[in-house]
Amino acid sequence: MTGDHLAIEVSRLTKRFGDVTAVRDLSFTVRPGVITGFLGPNGAGKTTTMRMMTGLVSPTGGTATIGGRTYGQLARPSRTVGAVFDANAFHSGHTARDHLRVYAAMGGYPDSRVTDLLDMLGLAEAAHRRTRGFSTGMRQRLNLATALLGDPRVLLLDEPGNGLDPEGVSWLRGFLRQFADEGRTVLISSHALGEIQQLVDDVVVIRRGELVAAGPCSQLAGPPAVLVTSPDAAALAAVLTAGPANGGPAPHVEAAGPDRLRVRGLDAPGLADLAAAHHVRVHELVVETTSLEELFLHLTRDKAVS
Amino acid sequence: MNLLIRAEFRRLLATRMWGGLLLAAAALGGGMFGAMALAGPENFDPPMPGLDTEAGLRAILGILGYTAFVPAAAGALAVTSEHRHHTAAVTFLFAPRRGRVLAAKLATYAVVGLAYGLVLAGTAAVALFAVAAARGVALGLPATTVLALLGRIAVAMVVYLLLGAGVGALVHHQIAALCVVTGYLYVGEPVLMMIPGVNTLYPILPGGATAALTDFTYVADAISAELGSGAVHLLPPAAGALLLTAYAVAASAIAVLLPLRRDVT
Repeated sequence: MTGDHLAIEVSRLTKRFGDVTAVRDLSFTVRPGVITGFLGPNGAGKTTTMRMMTGLVSPTGGTATIGGRTYGQLARPSRTVGAVFDANAFHSGHTARDHLRVYAAMGGYPDSRVTDLLDMLGLAEAAHRRTRGFSTGMRQRLNLATALLGDPRVLLLDEPGNGLDPEGVSWLRGFLRQFADEGRTVLISSHALGEIQQLVDDVVVIRRGELVAAGPCSQLAGPPAVLVTSPDAAALAAVLTAGPANGGPAPHVEAAGPDRLRVRGLDAPGLADLAAAHHVRVHELVVETTSLEELFLHLTRDKAVS
Repeated sequence: MNLLIRAEFRRLLATRMWGGLLLAAAALGGGMFGAMALAGPENFDPPMPGLDTEAGLRAILGILGYTAFVPAAAGALAVTSEHRHHTAAVTFLFAPRRGRVLAAKLATYAVVGLAYGLVLAGTAAVALFAVAAARGVALGLPATTVLALLGRIAVAMVVYLLLGAGVGALVHHQIAALCVVTGYLYVGEPVLMMIPGVNTLYPILPGGATAALTDFTYVADAISAELGSGAVHLLPPAAGALLLTAYAVAASAIAVLLPLRRDVT
């Protein structure tokens, strides 16, 4: 599958556990070549959805395919998909190397691949230590090493940031970016939005097992706003709402304090030029990007109201 | 399939359980059995026939057969280890055909069970013949018969390991599986033997079938005598062997088929 660009397609996926519907009629696509964040509060159904993608949980209805095939249809699944679900998925009496060798045998990969991964993930020195003594960061890296044994085209990580130190998060960020830049597919779930804010290109937001929003962050967030501080705020607002001389649409202006305006639809240089042309004083210009957290709260709130 | 079996061997050999199991086999065969032979069944409390009689020889071989709870516990431990250590999901990610994973485990465990049985029987044979020579006792059965009986015990160990694995696949929870396996073998069967009417089932229970292998009726007879119920008639050795095999096949089938549709959460 080397070189393939594989999308994950989730179509009308539903899972009921007894009376509880964990996932309800969920459809979305995860693009290759970018990092997609799978967001939602705890218990939203993220883990169940990812387990259905990998055949660990069988759906009550609908399908999840990877490159057009269900997980069970993949000839050598570990060559196509690597997944990390449990932060602590090793025999406590096994060494890091033992653990990787078991799964290398299962997937048909040579021991040299085990050595390479131990080196790549900084576990070479811990290779012969039993995993019961491993720190959270080491466990995360060993999990990742296991998922990467088959050099997969798709990587699924369930809450990878849990318990990682800032250094670990920074390393993971760099690693995943490179992975995605090679045209591979990355889906990482998180309930801690700040953690993956700088990391993801696309988001899929779910709540109570249902889709809230999906798409590139930039599109979902809308155009960035510019926060302008001016002692002549009223005059500036008048100029802005009058619209450009060429008759184009006027930017959207709202008050954000006594001397402040929040402007959408005009970028910072345009706003500064306009102010200068009308001799309006500007003391501060700040470009506001919507944080994932705000976006998420905004999206889930809208959904709750509707 | 070969890849899966290789993986299971690697999984097992990397733990300390493997070495411990063979040590236990040597301790039970060479140690416990040797000590029993050295003391002599005639000096047991209550006394049993001596090593120079067929009954005495069959009795201590039968007691050796009672150690089958050790491989049964090992089988339950091994098969539940993936759930205890949360590696089942990882394993099924690498090998989504779960039945084949379990089949590979059983094949691996059968080899381990055989190794256990051979060490147990081998050390027991060495201990028995050495003790007989040292004490100048002529054994109550020809050496070839003794070896054949020990061979049957070795095979019974394989069956029990697989039985334990089947229970483990059914129960999943490691401690619960261990309790079920050892509890049944140690308490469940003897209790069943004491219930009038139900005790007639004993010959077709795993313990009765194992006893049939060595024609070991000492425990059953003692309970019958205590309760005044009729003597227990064990199956012929060949039928016992067939029945044990059937138990192993049933346990294996449970172990292979059960996880197919379960959600791994």
